[in-house]
Amino acid sequence: MKNKHEGWGWMLAVDFFFAGMGGGMLVIAGIVELFIGEGRISLVGNLLGPVFMCIGCIFLVFELGRPFQSWRVFMNPKAILTVGAWIMSIAIVVGLAYASFGLNPAWFGMEKLFWQDWNGVRKVLSVVCLVTGLVVATYPGVLLSRHKCRPFWVGPGMITLFLLSSLVTGVAAQFLSGLVLPPVAVPGVMQALPALAGGLLFFQLIIWIGYIWVKRTGGTEAEAASAQRWIDGDISASFKSIVLLLGTLVPLILLLQSSLVAQAVGALLVLVGGVSIRCLVVRAGSDRTWLPGEQKYKNRLPFGDEAFLKAWNK
Amino acid sequence: MARYAMVIDTRRCIGCHSCTVACKVHNELPVDMIYNSVTTVGPTGIYPDLHMYNVPTLCMHCANAPCVDACPTGASQKREDGVVFIEDKKCVGCQACIMACPYGARVQNHATGAAQKCDFCKDRLDVGKKPHCVNTCHQKARIFGDLDDETSEVYKLVHGENSARLLGELNTEPYVFYIY
Repeated sequence: MKNKHEGWGWMLAVDFFFAGMGGGMLVIAGIVELFIGEGRISLVGNLLGPVFMCIGCIFLVFELGRPFQSWRVFMNPKAILTVGAWIMSIAIVVGLAYASFGLNPAWFGMEKLFWQDWNGVRKVLSVVCLVTGLVVATYPGVLLSRHKCRPFWVGPGMITLFLLSSLVTGVAAQFLSGLVLPPVAVPGVMQALPALAGGLLFFQLIIWIGYIWVKRTGGTEAEAASAQRWIDGDISASFKSIVLLLGTLVPLILLLQSSLVAQAVGALLVLVGGVSIRCLVVRAGSDRTWLPGEQKYKNRLPFGDEAFLKAWNK
Repeated sequence: MARYAMVIDTRRCIGCHSCTVACKVHNELPVDMIYNSVTTVGPTGIYPDLHMYNVPTLCMHCANAPCVDACPTGASQKREDGVVFIEDKKCVGCQACIMACPYGARVQNHATGAAQKCDFCKDRLDVGKKPHCVNTCHQKARIFGDLDDETSEVYKLVHGENSARLLGELNTEPYVFYIY
């Protein structure tokens, strides 16, 4: 009972990860298409962006108490969750449509797929990919930062952190996709992606340190207590060892090496850091603005597996 | 149209948890769900000047209810009389409302998957009765009524006594008031 009914769990964090990474991949694809040129991003990356968002949706559905009624989340346009669901749906459809321009007609036994000549449509789709991808990448941060009763989440800082993490994981995933199936156009942008990921990673590190420092020193008592969990509390070990060391510092070094293997391992570690940080952020949401005496009251509640509770069901 | 509100006189509450039990029985809640808990603050001070008080909590039926804003399905609603309630068949159990509520007033029923909460016993209000917790409180620590009615007891208490709202700084405008 103590920890039951307390809110979101790891599946939502995994949804944030896949959706954010997919959104980041669409942003990269859109920017490269519009400002650098066509065919310079791997087809695998362009396909995986929307597919990752679909995977995120699956986790989101299973996080629901009533998964088979998940369609209802599209029903209230005033709610931010509904807005997010609609935009992610649009991003998935548009992302797949955009990726279809890179399909090889020979795979279908044809000389040309009829829509691949529609250059204007391709450009429009890439603009929509860029915009919706950016929204999907930012959306979890917006969602969390509006919780004024959750001291670690509240405030616009969370928006920046989620956007950065989505972009860095998106760049890393695009790079790994390019290793699987290189872009058709030469020169591609593959060579630039590790350095871009490294730069974003460094920026993210600085923002995280600043965020925790501000929460610890400049906010309310509740915010300071929530930040303390990251410094020397229950979240601290995972944050320092997995997110900071394994998911940030090590990949930062590896991504700046010239070896392709080192860069690939670095990109994989970026993804490990991305999913870990989201799990920790969602976990940090268990802190709330407590009512007078509430924590003492909760500490007196049973855990739920005590014999006297089960006796009712015998 | 009435605007229902509850006033809780913490000077009268002795922390007997009768309201918690009445609420659970009336709403047929599972063992692990509570809408209506009573927390205790203290004892504080140094003997013989010790002080302790109890704080019965429930859904605050906020005017600016963050749970209603957060609900993606429209299951969380507010009636014209101010009662915030959940339309069970529309709830998908996304827990957005649970996370949005600053008062921890909502819980997820793991048997049905839906979120649930205190609704001021709206089925009783609709037939002119008061919520079960109010009727059960033998100390008369819970006072319920129409805040728009200047002759009502709740109106007089809210405007005449030392009343306060919980977490008023969050601008949720709760309609449960505490006298201390």
